[in-house]
Amino acid sequence: MKFINETVTIVRKDILLELRGKEVLSLMTFLSLLLLVIFNFALDLDKVTVSDFAPGILWVVFAFSGIIGMGRTSMVERDEDAYLSIIFSPASAESFFTAKVISNLLFLLTMEVVTVLLFAVLFDFEKLVVFFPRLLPSLLLGSLGFSIIGTLFSFLSTTSRYGEFLLPFLFLPVVAPILLGGVTSMDKILSESSEGFSKWMNILIVFDVMYMVLSLILFIHLL
Amino acid sequence: MNMIKLLNVGKVYHSRPALKCVDLGIEDGTMLTLFGPNGAGKTTLLKILAGIMSPSEGRVIYSPELSRHGDVRGSISYLGHKNSLYNELTVLENINFVFRLFGRKNGKEAIEKTLREFGLWERRRDPVRELSQGMKRRLAIAKGFITDSRIFVFDEPFTGLDLRWRDTILSGIRALKAKRKTTITCTHLLEEGYELGNIFAFFHRGSLLFLKRRDEIGLNEIKERFRLLEEPGR
Amino acid sequence: MNRRKAATVLYYILFVMIPLDFFLIFMVAPTERIMGDVQRIFYLHIALAINSYLGFAGVFIGGILFLRRKNLFWDTVAYTSAEIGVLFSTLVIITGSFWARPVWNVWWTWDPRLVTMLILWFIYVGYFLLRKGIDDVVRRARYSAVLGIIGFLDVPVVRLATKWWRSIHPRLSKEGGGLDPMMVKVMLFTIVTFVLFTVSLFIFRFRIARAEERVAVIIKNMEE
Repeated sequence: MKFINETVTIVRKDILLELRGKEVLSLMTFLSLLLLVIFNFALDLDKVTVSDFAPGILWVVFAFSGIIGMGRTSMVERDEDAYLSIIFSPASAESFFTAKVISNLLFLLTMEVVTVLLFAVLFDFEKLVVFFPRLLPSLLLGSLGFSIIGTLFSFLSTTSRYGEFLLPFLFLPVVAPILLGGVTSMDKILSESSEGFSKWMNILIVFDVMYMVLSLILFIHLL
Repeated sequence: MNMIKLLNVGKVYHSRPALKCVDLGIEDGTMLTLFGPNGAGKTTLLKILAGIMSPSEGRVIYSPELSRHGDVRGSISYLGHKNSLYNELTVLENINFVFRLFGRKNGKEAIEKTLREFGLWERRRDPVRELSQGMKRRLAIAKGFITDSRIFVFDEPFTGLDLRWRDTILSGIRALKAKRKTTITCTHLLEEGYELGNIFAFFHRGSLLFLKRRDEIGLNEIKERFRLLEEPGR
Repeated sequence: MNRRKAATVLYYILFVMIPLDFFLIFMVAPTERIMGDVQRIFYLHIALAINSYLGFAGVFIGGILFLRRKNLFWDTVAYTSAEIGVLFSTLVIITGSFWARPVWNVWWTWDPRLVTMLILWFIYVGYFLLRKGIDDVVRRARYSAVLGIIGFLDVPVVRLATKWWRSIHPRLSKEGGGLDPMMVKVMLFTIVTFVLFTVSLFIFRFRIARAEERVAVIIKNMEE
């Protein structure tokens, strides 16, 4: 099907670009590491408090690293107006957007897995690794939400005079529900309490579906 | 039958009226060349024609044939001031990417032929950032030719290219005419621009001064018009 | 009655209603038993909150209509609404603080309504930052329309999420017990007054915005 072909072509191109340039992933991962270190200086966690703060710290790091990374991927398209080769092709705005969401999601998830591992090492918190499979669904849903809003907003902000610098400012307020949902569900999983867990997953799903549909409709206006 | 029609199009850009009251109809199979001094609004006009900039006033009307692929821009090939290339990917990867986006397969021969024509075959595995300015320009143009679009828009295609390549580009664009494509070119090179057009539009300070066919105006007259504009105290 | 006349009538009505409203708030409404006189700020606070949401709705509607009709008129509607909205949400947050300090002894609380208002405020400010960075008038209108639409639809989600979040960390609730019927009447009157005020402010600002745009075009033409 035309849509799938176009989307796959663009995703492959994005992955190829990253494998060549290696800019985005390394930037995001180093930033994550740095943030984790700074958090430790700021909060001075010990074995007792680490499980309380872990979800919060992790999702803040995901959000900040993530948005910096997504800003970069958008700049790569803007550089030399490369994205025009997609615009002046039969590829629809919908496939362009979907492809970008998928590639950004892949980069985000990679960064998050590495961050979780780094956290487990730096703070001696093995529970994170043991429980990781259970954390995956909420990680996936939350990152998808980040990717949808991040992809849409990075196209918004990179044309403005302020460029990537505006992006976190636009992004963070809007993804507040994801931060809340992600942190709360991670907290519940780690503390092994299932009370109210499903409603948080539901809010993530609603967010993702609503914004994916909305963005697919609106994206054409940004091109 | 008009492929693209501009009705009273105006554009205000950076607090300046870049275009004023432009009425222009481009028929199927036309080769249009835009002439005019710097700042006349030619690039702005090309961007509006290609659909990547919206006019502040007036409308752009496209023939329904162009929307066959969905968005009108799917039937247009645009070469702007920048080359629209991915610097980290190789020559071959850039061209393959576009080829696949157009849903085409088995392009090996066509791609090789085009790359050889533009002197890029030897460098096909090199990333674009390692190429010279001229090579990048040639690749950008080659990429456009390979798409086989209905309409071709060229904004200063000869930038950074020496004489040897100008001829290649010229014959490439002329070949488009044989394929009954519509081309819209803007260039500050008067001879080449005259060669490439059968209709000429002269712009100055955002206004369309005149629109003449090849049999109505000669190259010398166009040169004369330019000289008049450049005179001090104009 | 033509539009100009209608607007003038509106101004006259407000000229009466606003002082009347303040009179009602400070003189007529009964004093709240527990909180005392400081509770009166509540009337303004609620009315301002409702109107800041109205402002945001204006951004949303202006955005949608611009994208559909491509007429810059709707963009002016959108950014005028946004100006009013950001003004009012700033006031909501400030009046909320003034109320919270004497009553609960805190300057701020993570009450879901306040948090939602804060997020709203951030999105509004982001809206203006985005506009400031784009020079092309049409593109600016399109991009801010997209931002306005996304932001507006985010509000209920934020509200819901913070409400659930808050139920995990229970905080002080905003209202204690029921409201005296007289208070309800004053509240309603205040809300109506403020809605009319918002509308007139909008009309006023909108006219100035259109005039500004026209002057800018004239100046540009003169420079040529």
